[in-house]
Amino acid sequence: MSKTIDPITLQVIGGALHAIAEQMGNVLYRMSYSSIIRESQDLGAGLFDLDYNTLCESDSTPMHIGSIPGYLRGIEKSIPLTDWQEGDVVIHNHPYFGASHSPDIGIVMPIFYCGELVGFSANTAHHLDIGAATPGLIIDVPDVFAEGMLLNGLKLVEAGKRNETLWRYISGNTRVPGLVMRDLEAQIASAELGVKRFCELMDTYGRATVEQASKQLMDYSESMLRREIAKIPDGDYFAEGFLDDDGRTRGVHLPIKVTVRVRGDDVEVDLTGSSPQVPTAYNVPFEGSTKVACYFAFRALLLDTYTNTEYIPQNEGSFRPVKVTAPLGCIFNPIAPAACEARFNQIQRIVDLIIKALAPVLPDKCTAGNAACLSFASYSGVRDSGDYWVLIEVNEASMGGRPTSDGPDTIEELMRNTRNNPLEDLGMHLPVICDRYEIRDDVFPGAGEYRGGMGVVKSQRFLVPGFMTHESDRNEDVPWGIFGGGEGVTAAVRMHNHTKDTPPIDVPAKISGLRAEAGDVITYLSPGGGGYGISLKRDPAKVLDDLLDGYITPEHARDVYGVVVKPVTNGYQWGLDLPATAKLRASMALG
Amino acid sequence: MFRVGVDVGGTFTDLVLEAVGADGRQEVFVHKVSSTPQDQSIGVVQGVVELCAIAGIQPGQIDALFHGTTVATNIVIERDGAEVGMITTKGFRDILHMARHKRPHNFSLQFDVPWQSAPLVKRRNRIAVTERIMPPTGHVEVPLNLDEVERAAELFAERGLEAVVIGFLFSFLNNDHELMAKEIVKRVMPDAFICASCEVVNTMREYERFSTAAMNAYIGPRTAGYLDNLQRRLREAGVNAYVRMMQSNGGVSTVEQAAKAPVGLLLSGPAGGVIGGRWTGEACDQHQVITIDIGGTSADISVIRDGNLTIKNPRDTEVAEMPVLVPMIDIDAIGAGGGSIAYVDSGGAFRVGPRSAGAEPGPACYGKGGVEPTVTDAQVVLGRLDPEQFLGGGLKIDPALAEAAIRSKLAEPLGLSVKDAALGVLRIINNHMALAIESNSVARGIDPRGFSLMAFGGAGPLHGVALGEAIWAKNVISPLHPGITAAMGLLVTEPRYEFTRSALSILQAGDTSSFANIGAIFDKLESEAKAQLDSDLIPAAAQRFERIAECRYVGQGFELRVDVPPGAFTAKTAEDVAKAFYAAHRTEYGHAFEDQAVEVVTLRLIGTASADTLRLPALEKGGRRNPSDAALYSRMTTFDDGQTLETPRFDRSKLKAADEVTGPAIVTQKNSTTVIPKGYTATVMRLGDIVISRNGKGN
Repeated sequence: MSKTIDPITLQVIGGALHAIAEQMGNVLYRMSYSSIIRESQDLGAGLFDLDYNTLCESDSTPMHIGSIPGYLRGIEKSIPLTDWQEGDVVIHNHPYFGASHSPDIGIVMPIFYCGELVGFSANTAHHLDIGAATPGLIIDVPDVFAEGMLLNGLKLVEAGKRNETLWRYISGNTRVPGLVMRDLEAQIASAELGVKRFCELMDTYGRATVEQASKQLMDYSESMLRREIAKIPDGDYFAEGFLDDDGRTRGVHLPIKVTVRVRGDDVEVDLTGSSPQVPTAYNVPFEGSTKVACYFAFRALLLDTYTNTEYIPQNEGSFRPVKVTAPLGCIFNPIAPAACEARFNQIQRIVDLIIKALAPVLPDKCTAGNAACLSFASYSGVRDSGDYWVLIEVNEASMGGRPTSDGPDTIEELMRNTRNNPLEDLGMHLPVICDRYEIRDDVFPGAGEYRGGMGVVKSQRFLVPGFMTHESDRNEDVPWGIFGGGEGVTAAVRMHNHTKDTPPIDVPAKISGLRAEAGDVITYLSPGGGGYGISLKRDPAKVLDDLLDGYITPEHARDVYGVVVKPVTNGYQWGLDLPATAKLRASMALG
Repeated sequence: MFRVGVDVGGTFTDLVLEAVGADGRQEVFVHKVSSTPQDQSIGVVQGVVELCAIAGIQPGQIDALFHGTTVATNIVIERDGAEVGMITTKGFRDILHMARHKRPHNFSLQFDVPWQSAPLVKRRNRIAVTERIMPPTGHVEVPLNLDEVERAAELFAERGLEAVVIGFLFSFLNNDHELMAKEIVKRVMPDAFICASCEVVNTMREYERFSTAAMNAYIGPRTAGYLDNLQRRLREAGVNAYVRMMQSNGGVSTVEQAAKAPVGLLLSGPAGGVIGGRWTGEACDQHQVITIDIGGTSADISVIRDGNLTIKNPRDTEVAEMPVLVPMIDIDAIGAGGGSIAYVDSGGAFRVGPRSAGAEPGPACYGKGGVEPTVTDAQVVLGRLDPEQFLGGGLKIDPALAEAAIRSKLAEPLGLSVKDAALGVLRIINNHMALAIESNSVARGIDPRGFSLMAFGGAGPLHGVALGEAIWAKNVISPLHPGITAAMGLLVTEPRYEFTRSALSILQAGDTSSFANIGAIFDKLESEAKAQLDSDLIPAAAQRFERIAECRYVGQGFELRVDVPPGAFTAKTAEDVAKAFYAAHRTEYGHAFEDQAVEVVTLRLIGTASADTLRLPALEKGGRRNPSDAALYSRMTTFDDGQTLETPRFDRSKLKAADEVTGPAIVTQKNSTTVIPKGYTATVMRLGDIVISRNGKGN
């Protein structure tokens, strides 16, 4: 049983596990109905052993990757290992029993091989509506019970027989049963595929070999991460920031404090000192979200898949070296029954602050301050037929400058990586119309040798009356520059009515259950990333590019970058004046 | 009648000439010359001229020339296309920059975003103009501002741009504004390459449509320049043949059509191989075939079902990480080939590829300075590639260099014998390829046990049986000329033009008028296709039309293709299409909901025509077992199970139809080596293709 597997078989089984997880993810998003799953791909899928270790996971959305073991440990509280039967399908979403947050419904199937339980096939997907206090998203609610249906380790299918009562209960408690129930079927199809393919793998190589290979693959991933952690000097590294507010108590900032303790090849993230839990849904489930964010940060920083050519299997091994501490009762480890559905902005900030804390010792791997937020917008209403329509949309932001490249513009950064909804697809089916979707042109990018990414501006117009909830942050705490780079730009949310002549008004980042009129337009302007390095060192050709592309003005080029431009006649209006630039830069460097 | 197929690869340009005499007697000649990457047409014309000499004809005697080229693809990979201008809807200037806002790497902070760092159209050249078309009917909310379009075009002209793309939101519902803008730009910039998004691909989803049109404009001027060069050089060499270009969809088009819609050429290179694979399969009476074309750095995989090519789901068609919504054969390229490098990574894991030694320096055994062991070196160490047979003895290989590389870089660090390390290299690379085949077959509900595996490309038949075993294929085919299969495929293609239109409509909720509308759109598309075939001088009797509805359940985001019968579209047709959709959904995902409404998203019409096809002369019948007059010599050879056996070699050119060769054996020919392990028997087919089966299993 414990005999070491040869390196060749190990690669073969590793490749097969990876392929199974990818196929599970593909079936789920292609078959699903709601745009949040099929277009945005807000989902995760994988295989797990009896100790709930991740054997493999689909490369979909980072937030989901690493969250499923929490679901499995939570389910064990209601279904011990001895109570599983072949053909069971369990549904689970309870945030105080390991779920990432309540709309991320987990579907779990046991894998029996030769009559014995050998592991689990599972996936999670974000559902459009689970019957919460307001359609789609929620922020200002009193407790976890207002989040909607809490499904705590329930057998939706028992030994192959679907529990029709439970099925009807779920169908009757969402505003959009036509989407949610079909999405659940897609999740079950994905889990069934995982069960089948894992059994086939055991048929081919034998159970003992597959299990041993899985252990070695986890050890391998663990050792790769530990090796990188060991290169960081031992020490305590600290960074802090703040959130705008809790969505109810306006004007009260919520502090976030991150201490990273590196000891040999172990690391601990300690969130002590961060805000106490808040009385709205703006808290973060500890098992399914806080911990997952910390795991992500170290993988992305230390085992960057773009700069490392070696494939490192996505499994439990990369979680093991990372310990996460958050005192009970703080915003990152709330006490039930606090609501904790709206948690994404906070975990983005954990990751960004881990990067900031370690930047002085990882200058070649870090970034300047990222937007590190999430604009999550739900638009909804009731059709003449009495049926609900609900759209949940994720708006992108940007990243900070990097050691050898500019921060990407208008992109899904850090823990998120969804796809947007094609505007033309939405326009054909929903009573909202997009009036503007492009790069923000009201601000300059965070200056630096490598500039921060540009944020997005998006305006959605209601064509009929409806409801709107917007979960976002970072209207106040600006993304930082680093190593001499300038700071980025904060976010803004504005509202106006298409049919009226009144100017747009600024509103807070979090809006709960707004009742919109026809013609109301909500405009989101995302943050821009901070700059990396001294702006006077920026390649003048890149400064000219930014000028020609309309991100900066000739005055900004001169004052901030020390780059002088002169008129040209080739149709592009401006060209570089390199001698004048050299002279200006020399004088600016002197100070 | 003389027809020539020319397939240009990264290293070699492969050519086939088919000569049909007045008496109907046929001969086939093949040739290979070095590719000329700076201008592929130089190598093409040189090869054509040399091949004519081999065949003993004059270049002027060639009737038809069929060409597969990587020119368009290389422009994208090397990013040296045109400076493109774009005119788009006000408020949506940056759709091409934002893409689908998903980053290409999950676990990375330093990743590159290709569509931002090397855009097809720079932001300074994307000009937004006032206009607004509204869904769901396509009515005009704000009319197009013609002055703004004119000013944009004048600015582009002043900037010396070579190409302009026009892309407005919701143009798939109403293309008036795009076509009006195009006329204005044409007037201001008469020499520029200009296209409107609705003309390139008339379907919903703005980023994908704009990206496809921008790609067309980006590669347009240079592709047209190449096609001009090619035609000029051919004329200068005395070739007056008509020229047909291989397209990504598996059909051929005229040079003029290719120059207008170069975006259809992006898979022109590998498509010939798949067509050649299908044709070889038919010659062997195998209609369920998985093809794998194994080259030096990559392997291209495709599946042929019931004799039909698999066309990629139009939602998945990408080139260089950017969507290109044109019909493409589903070809999956993976970084695994004969030149793939094997190494031990910093964490001690045994890895092979995707890095490749390429043509320079090539595998260690080439003696051109390569010191890292490759897949080819492993084959040499195991005694499967005989130095005197390699490329017909045309390239010297040194087994000692292969062994030294495997010993020092793999065997010693891993504590394995040289033999076990070499076997390991093959097991890992074969596993990569087998997993890729499975994700293109098993993962889509295709059971490889009913399929033949056809491994071609020079290295294909070395891996064929191992791959066939790994995926449980029915049998393995080694085609007659494994290294020239793609060029031969060019001689068995037919013209193929596709026209699409978005027409969202729910099948179960339709009435007579909405069904009539679908029928009318199909009729209109068919008349467009017919006009194209007519202009290619194809007689009406030879023209064929296929109708396809791309459907989904209402609410889904991905469509599946369903065939639509010709004739009027009635309520009964709608019912049949819905049923066919359920079946397709079950095959693709393992589930179908028969009570759910089905929505048609895109209507597609394909116009094709039957054309001349390559006919190879049948071999003389042998019917012998291990024929002694084809036997060369025996040598110790190691097989995948680790056994080293005295193994006879057979000369492929001396094998006759119905001859059998029993493993262990190796069949050699100029450009390829076929491995037949113990327990397998190879049977020579009518035209010289070899089918290898496990003993006790039929064909």
